[in-house]
Amino acid sequence: MIEVHLYGKLRRLVEDAKCNADTVMIVEHVEGETFQHLIERLGLQMSDLGDCFIDGNLAHVDDEVKDDSRVGLFPFNMVLLCGGQHLKGHGYTQSDHEVDYY
Amino acid sequence: MSKILRVNMNDMDYKWEEVPKKYSTYAGRAMTTAIVHDEVEATCDPLRENNKVVVSPGLLAGTPAPSSGRISFGGKSPLTGTIKEANAGGLSGTRLGNLGIRAIVIEGMPETKKDWYSLYVSKDDVELLKTNDYAGIGLYDLIGRVWKKYDTRPGIVGCGVAGQRKNKSAGIFGNNIENTDPGRYAGRGGLGAVLGSKRLVAIISDDKGADRPKPKDKDLFDEGRKKLAEALDEHPVTGKLEDDDGNPYGGLKNYGTNVLMNILNEAGGLPSRGFSSGRFNGASKISGEAVHELVDKTKKKFGDKAEGMYGHPCHPGCIMACSNVVPYEKTGKAHVSPLEYESAWSLGTNLVIDNLEHVAELNRLCNDLGLDTIEAGNTIAMFMESGQIDYGDGEAAIKLLKEAYKEDSVVGKLISSGAKIAGETFGVTRIPVVKGQSLPAYDPRPIRGIGVTYATSTMGADHTSGYTIAAEILGIKGDVSDPREMKKAELSRNFQATTAYIDSSGYCLFIAFAILDIDKGFEGMTQTVNGFLGDEVDVTKYGLKVLEMERDFNRNAGFTKEDDRLPEFFRTEPLPPHDVTFDVPDDELDAVYKDM
Repeated sequence: MIEVHLYGKLRRLVEDAKCNADTVMIVEHVEGETFQHLIERLGLQMSDLGDCFIDGNLAHVDDEVKDDSRVGLFPFNMVLLCGGQHLKGHGYTQSDHEVDYY
Repeated sequence: MSKILRVNMNDMDYKWEEVPKKYSTYAGRAMTTAIVHDEVEATCDPLRENNKVVVSPGLLAGTPAPSSGRISFGGKSPLTGTIKEANAGGLSGTRLGNLGIRAIVIEGMPETKKDWYSLYVSKDDVELLKTNDYAGIGLYDLIGRVWKKYDTRPGIVGCGVAGQRKNKSAGIFGNNIENTDPGRYAGRGGLGAVLGSKRLVAIISDDKGADRPKPKDKDLFDEGRKKLAEALDEHPVTGKLEDDDGNPYGGLKNYGTNVLMNILNEAGGLPSRGFSSGRFNGASKISGEAVHELVDKTKKKFGDKAEGMYGHPCHPGCIMACSNVVPYEKTGKAHVSPLEYESAWSLGTNLVIDNLEHVAELNRLCNDLGLDTIEAGNTIAMFMESGQIDYGDGEAAIKLLKEAYKEDSVVGKLISSGAKIAGETFGVTRIPVVKGQSLPAYDPRPIRGIGVTYATSTMGADHTSGYTIAAEILGIKGDVSDPREMKKAELSRNFQATTAYIDSSGYCLFIAFAILDIDKGFEGMTQTVNGFLGDEVDVTKYGLKVLEMERDFNRNAGFTKEDDRLPEFFRTEPLPPHDVTFDVPDDELDAVYKDM
């Protein structure tokens, strides 16, 4: 199973979620699934997202989400307070920038 | 025209001076640093007459450049023994900028320690007033009394009872735009105690009748400020409050700096229980999102009478508006403004307190007493670490902090004297300080670049002096350089230099989003500065010059590379969940400033 912690507007994925409590969604683990595929399975797009984490590490699109992972999903307007968003692959400040999604 | 006001507390006199040519581009941090470097004996006792307090509005304070009204304070720090600059928003930067004052230098101290004074500065008048009625009272009361006396909505900065008693955690407070809270703090380094040692309670600035400062190259300045404003508005972090459908948009306007609470928690770099864990189960309850929800809830319940806010500007002309007003849930009335990330962390997460009202109350007490919230929270943690009170006991923490009001309370003095003194008093061996100053809200074990900044900063542990957080955690990658491949030393030094430039300009550090993400944002920043000065300033060179002066002062004060170290426990105790220690070798720490 994967523990998905949701923040900001993404909390709406869980009914009656409150901002002053953890909003956690438990989803099935799929063998070999990447972060991007997990996002699609949840009905989201990468452009909806800000900085996200898998077990405390920045989530990259091709990262495999292993069983028992903790995934933290933040919406596009929740990021660490520093510049460089277009370089992180969010695509919402300079969509024409040559982005390395590493 | 820019000028320097020099106030001598020995003979209660003042004089006006021209800005010396060598300081012509200096303001804010560059100005406070230059004057302290050139005029203060580095080995002096910070609380005796040879130390000085320098107040300097940022270069663009008072101009219509967006979010440019910050104000800096400098002196030799009684907490760290180093040079110190601390800056804040509030009204005074704008007021002093409009009065054409580039710096106020407070020097000497009265021979008799009987009376308390306030400095009043207006367009045509400078007065040193005997104001014993402003001393020994809470700062909410003090700012109310000042605005009652002056109906011109003046800026107020000064020290509370902690500073008046020369306690080392004392910050310099500032009133907010509405004068409802003294919570605009240049908090760090104990500069409030230096002001208190001069017997100066308040500096009141009144810009009635004064004109805004005029840029030398107006066209360039105007082009720059428009570009920067557009970049700030466009950016999802600094931009508008709501999108076209009425949903929350700009991260800072909606959640403030405390948007970071949940993010650092997920990243595993949120120090909790006295820097013993990188995660806190109660983070959501005291996060920026929780404050946002509380504000909306109380607005719905109390309508026009509700006083809670987000999207609240910390100084006139700030378009990012990351400040807030936290309401009481039961009445909707204002409890404290602002509750910033660092304060919610130090008084909440670090103490394992997840009750938002308790955290807000602790912050309000700090604001009222004149204490730096980061230092106060870390000091309370020392009481918890040694078992005087329990981690997580918010009511006990509030009771403890209230001791600081009592002039004859030894516990009150201890709680106002910083984590180092309190920790050593209790025999604690996990004291999170560098050069005597407490660490802020990012654990240096998983986020090592900020650890390098903490260790090597000219100011003691300070996140704002070289904010490497996002670059590190996220590994920002671009055409210019890849921070993941940079030595942490180089990363930290570059950030420290750029920060010194921004701290001098009057701009808030959070313009960093717009200047790093959007090309016209960076152009806008440099064009406004160059247009204002009628001169071209190189960002990195300017910042490095400031750092050079600060390093030189510290060297003369007796600091060596051995002082640029983190406490031992960060190297020996792994931090969960990443289970890592701070493993940056000493020679890499020394490399940050090896040629400076």
